[in-house]
Amino acid sequence: MKRLNFVCAFLLIVAGFKIEAAPDADQTSVKSYDARGVVRQIAADRLKATIQHEAIPGFMSAMTMEFNVKDTNELNGISPSDEITFKLVVGGNESWIEGVRFVAHQVDDVTSNTFVFHYSSAELKDGDLLPDCAFMAEDGSTVHLSDFRGKAVAFTFFFTRCPLPDYCQRMSRNFSETRQLLMATTSAPANWQLLSISFDPGFDSPEMLSAYANAYRDGDTNRWLFAAASTNTLSGLAPRLDLMIMRDGDNIMSHNLRTVVLDPQGKIFRQLDGNQWTPQQLADAILQAARGQTNSAP
Amino acid sequence: MSRPASSKERDDERLFFYVAIVLSLFVGAGFFLFIYGLSSRETETGAAAENFPPRLIQPDRPRQLVDFSLTDRTGRNVTRAELDGKILVVDFLYTSCSLTCPVVNRCMAQIQQLVTNQPDVKLVSLTVDPRDDTVEALAKYGGRFGADTNRWLLLTGDKTALYDLIGNSFLAQGPDDPFNYMPGNFAHTERIALVDSRGKLRGFFDGLNENTAAAVAGEIDKLRK
Repeated sequence: MKRLNFVCAFLLIVAGFKIEAAPDADQTSVKSYDARGVVRQIAADRLKATIQHEAIPGFMSAMTMEFNVKDTNELNGISPSDEITFKLVVGGNESWIEGVRFVAHQVDDVTSNTFVFHYSSAELKDGDLLPDCAFMAEDGSTVHLSDFRGKAVAFTFFFTRCPLPDYCQRMSRNFSETRQLLMATTSAPANWQLLSISFDPGFDSPEMLSAYANAYRDGDTNRWLFAAASTNTLSGLAPRLDLMIMRDGDNIMSHNLRTVVLDPQGKIFRQLDGNQWTPQQLADAILQAARGQTNSAP
Repeated sequence: MSRPASSKERDDERLFFYVAIVLSLFVGAGFFLFIYGLSSRETETGAAAENFPPRLIQPDRPRQLVDFSLTDRTGRNVTRAELDGKILVVDFLYTSCSLTCPVVNRCMAQIQQLVTNQPDVKLVSLTVDPRDDTVEALAKYGGRFGADTNRWLLLTGDKTALYDLIGNSFLAQGPDDPFNYMPGNFAHTERIALVDSRGKLRGFFDGLNENTAAAVAGEIDKLRK
């Protein structure tokens, strides 16, 4: 409290000082501020200019306003849309700009934009051959997509750390049910295979993969393999399959869901996007592909 | 000081003594205030470090809203002409994005509330994953965030059309990294863009900062001045 009193007293002394000093400062208070902005309008007599300026530190925030121009020569060669630097001079009861320098002509026009972005898609369509690629299987061995030629292959992407029941975990549950459906179909051909591919190769070691896999496979490893894709493999696959993976450091932040059925020749038979497809739809697609039927997607 | 002093000298000494005391008081008090000011400023920035007011991030180059033709979540065709003369608040989403997109779209919902009485402002969400984000998916997603059909457009369409719009009018491409991978490879999809009534991209705010809604509303006020 004492300290506060002391501070108050001190502030009063300082305030007194300032009031005394103020008139003195006023006589020399023509101040000049460096500023930058874009000319929006110049008056016909060139004695006023409307400038959309950036913040002027110590004086005012960014805005568009009309300034006086003392010397009309200041605006020689300057026209609207020009970016300029200038000095804003503030006197006792007047203000004006001077020291105007041209920086650039601002391009607001689309047609004069030289840079044009064109997205070129690498996405594969049904019937396209998916280039072969290699994965690390859950037993640590290398497996190629081409190892499954002659079979219909359904694959999807996941990672074992994925916490959301409606994303990766739903994919794994759907694969589990699809396998049960196919196994239960007595007339089903034998040439089909499921493959779950992790896009978290740094974390999903063979041990992690098989531990995760066994939770969904009920001890039956038949026709359902788990594997991990390397960063290199992913950089080839992602643009072809429209797969999106966002990672922050070592953590996968979010991703979309892509499930693909390849026919026995390795061509894309059907793609099931997102998480709304059913195990029955996938089973039907696998059966059609395995039997060499034509794609009759809905 | 040991020699005997005249009364004049004693007066001078006394004056000097008083002046010294007053000066040291001033210096001490000034020092105290200086330290006090420093420490209070430190606690302020310390407490607010997580969510200090977001800055307007300048575009990488001058960018202008280009022509487009897309479909909103009601199935209606939307072109640039419909948005001419409007101030636009634009974000980028994909509905299967579980962490960042909901934060950004909650911010969009706040902005929608702040501009309730400003008919010249429209909100636009562009999907970067149109294969998943159909009209139906966006309808559901918009409902989740209370998007007003007349105020907040959620747009999907042909991927090339969407990406050409995003790549020309808004986002730069990121490094060619299989992670942070989106077809088109756009960087900073968590940003919220502000386009003025002349179709010029004014800049971005960080869509993950909880003060961004207020900052966007403030910047919109400035645009009208």
